[in-house]
Amino acid sequence: MPADAGAVLDVAGLEAVLDGGAGVGPVDLRLAPGEQVLVLGPSGAGKSTLLRCLHGAVPHAVPARVRGRVAVAGRDVAEHGVAALADVVGVLAQDPETGVCLADVADEVAFPLENLGTPPAAIGPAVGAALAATGAAHLAGRRTDALSGGELQRVGLAAAVVTRPRLLLLDEPTSMLDADGVAAVRAALAAARQATGAACVLVEHRLDALAGDAGVAGLPGRWVVLSADGRVTHDGPAAEVARAAGPELLARGCWLPEDVELAVTLGGAPGDGGQHDRVLALADAVSRGPAPRTAPAPPGEVLLAARGLAVGRGRRRGRRGPAPEPVLRDVDLELRAGEVVALVGANGAGKSTLLACLAGLLAPLAGAVDGPRAGLVVQNPEHQLAGRTVRAEVATGLPPGPATDERVAASLTRFGLTPLADRDPHRLSGGEQRRLSLAAMLVHDRPVLLADEPTFGLDRHGTAAVLGALADEARAGRAVLLTCHDLRAVASAADRVLVAAGGRLVAEVDPLALLRAPGLLAAARLRPSLLLRRLAAAVPDAARLRAALAALDARALGGATGPVGRAAEPVA
Amino acid sequence: MTPLAARNPAVKLLLVVAVSVATLALLDPATLAALYLLGLAAARWGAGVGGRRLLLAQVPFWTFGVGVLLVNAASRPGAVLVAGGPFRVTHEGLVVGAALALRGCVIGVATVAFLASTPPRDLMVSLVRHARLSPRYAYALLAGHRMLAGLPRQWATIRAAQLVRAPLGRDGRPREGWRGWARSAFALLVASIRASERVALALESRGLAAGPRTVWRPVPFGAADAVLAGGVLGVLALVLAAGA
Repeated sequence: MPADAGAVLDVAGLEAVLDGGAGVGPVDLRLAPGEQVLVLGPSGAGKSTLLRCLHGAVPHAVPARVRGRVAVAGRDVAEHGVAALADVVGVLAQDPETGVCLADVADEVAFPLENLGTPPAAIGPAVGAALAATGAAHLAGRRTDALSGGELQRVGLAAAVVTRPRLLLLDEPTSMLDADGVAAVRAALAAARQATGAACVLVEHRLDALAGDAGVAGLPGRWVVLSADGRVTHDGPAAEVARAAGPELLARGCWLPEDVELAVTLGGAPGDGGQHDRVLALADAVSRGPAPRTAPAPPGEVLLAARGLAVGRGRRRGRRGPAPEPVLRDVDLELRAGEVVALVGANGAGKSTLLACLAGLLAPLAGAVDGPRAGLVVQNPEHQLAGRTVRAEVATGLPPGPATDERVAASLTRFGLTPLADRDPHRLSGGEQRRLSLAAMLVHDRPVLLADEPTFGLDRHGTAAVLGALADEARAGRAVLLTCHDLRAVASAADRVLVAAGGRLVAEVDPLALLRAPGLLAAARLRPSLLLRRLAAAVPDAARLRAALAALDARALGGATGPVGRAAEPVA
Repeated sequence: MTPLAARNPAVKLLLVVAVSVATLALLDPATLAALYLLGLAAARWGAGVGGRRLLLAQVPFWTFGVGVLLVNAASRPGAVLVAGGPFRVTHEGLVVGAALALRGCVIGVATVAFLASTPPRDLMVSLVRHARLSPRYAYALLAGHRMLAGLPRQWATIRAAQLVRAPLGRDGRPREGWRGWARSAFALLVASIRASERVALALESRGLAAGPRTVWRPVPFGAADAVLAGGVLGVLALVLAAGA
């Protein structure tokens, strides 16, 4: 078959501009049958928009001005709607909750086949095969409202591949999952790609998590890089593109696979034999240096204390009904001035519930919380928005007056929000909304700050900004407690880690001790990356671990100018 | 599976409509009371609604019924039964009021029996197959039904998030006026609109269109459904005839 006629995807001169002004292009892209492509680029480069152009969601469902041509399996996308391409394109989006539409798992996977008019007798076996290919066979017969995010994504993937599409579009399929979910979906993706032989376009911003220990080898073999303004700057084999575009991508805040990151920051090629030695050399360098300035200070005064706390959602049914079952019980904890404490645990371990209780928003089922009113930043910044403009958002809950105006202005400046002051908060990017929610909470000047997954979904710059702001708060004499699934963030920001598992707080350790305790990691469903495991084995204390990670961050985020070989940076 | 749960949802829906229309032509409390008792029996043993649940489900209809009865009894002209002060209760008022109240109860109990014996998925599949409802509407409704179930939890999350910055009341708990509620409602609206856009796209990318489609596990439609329809309509006719 000639290459031209055989192309699964043929994109020529594609340019799309959304109503809001964001867009992508010009893009030229051709995929042979079964070819796997990874699309990378900094936040806002239009990766998701590009993916949506490929199956017609832009402009058929999302209004946009589109130029150029997109054809899938010889069909012109502009002339066909999204539904008319369903037999050749399978799509998996990032939000597990809205990627699954029906109440029953088997119905959900059968749904695309029914829509294509598949004879009923053939549907049952196809549903079983698709669920088996995505590691979800045990979920058949379950109700979708009782599934975890990782399980929902596997069901969504089964529904995407059940029609045996020629092209699979994956839009950040693991970005909203915890470590367990990422691992399960990673395996499911690999199995599904192999089972269907479909060509695949993958967009994902946490490539370090998705690639796992396999590094570049765990990702599609062809990489396409978009620049910040949506143009294709690189297109080629993974290793080549990683070498050419790696420094630029890292500096722009992309989360690259660890082996690429280390090759850029420490030298060498991704995954070569010398990488282990270079990590050890880094650990050695920070270990021989003087103890970092943030070495454990004398503990500050206790600002918030919980004694015998039991927390849970739901209300007592009637006056004599049984009390709701606590999700966490016998919680004793103290938050001290000047420290950052991380709370880790599996999804559903009760972390958010505990934070709501410590913030006084949820009455404890038993025990008591002692301390002043705490500030709380919730996981989804949009849930907390109350103002029409960024400035009004920061001023919410403060008494009007010149003193408030001054504080609001100072807070906007601190978080780099002054240029956005008159914008609608709902129209900001995820990173901007996160900075706004922090600014709007910190302006209240509460002695204790609680933050629920504050780095979730952020690029590397956003993550560094949030963790830096939390560290600043602690240094200013406040107590900070954050929940976090990202072990690297925990290791680079926390002084102390609380581990929630099995309905209790089972440990209180420093990040290094956590990384060295396989039992605790398993209980909290955490999987440290290869880099963290190597560093944990090589450094003498938690402060040096933090210094090593800070050095890597500094080299990565300033990496565009080629700082390889610079000495380890002091923390903060 | 209860006897009614095994029957075709479109047939059941049609019967609920038939009974409801029939009651609209009735103003005889005795006939309506007989229909109500039959409806209760159908809900209890046909649809398997437990005694306590069935009772609770009647409360709204009884409340409505009492209101209708009182207003009619005290406001309709006719033979006065009791008079006291500005109030006088008439015979005609009592009869019409009781009939209207019972009419509400009959329609209510029929609906309860229908909903308790019909999973939403079966209803939509049946309406698409047997009543020619467009699959686009049917599956959009089903997806919406799934989202609806998650709303209370989302509301609680948003309320808590919004109360963090609210001023404290005298009891030391966060307090917000109606503005706070309105803001939370707006946040929920924004979240719901975003979610529904994503769900709509997911449905479409799975090929949901107005065109012909097959059904993997169809809802049965057969002789037993004809027997049910014949039975219900026959009993209805008998009761109507007895009351005439």
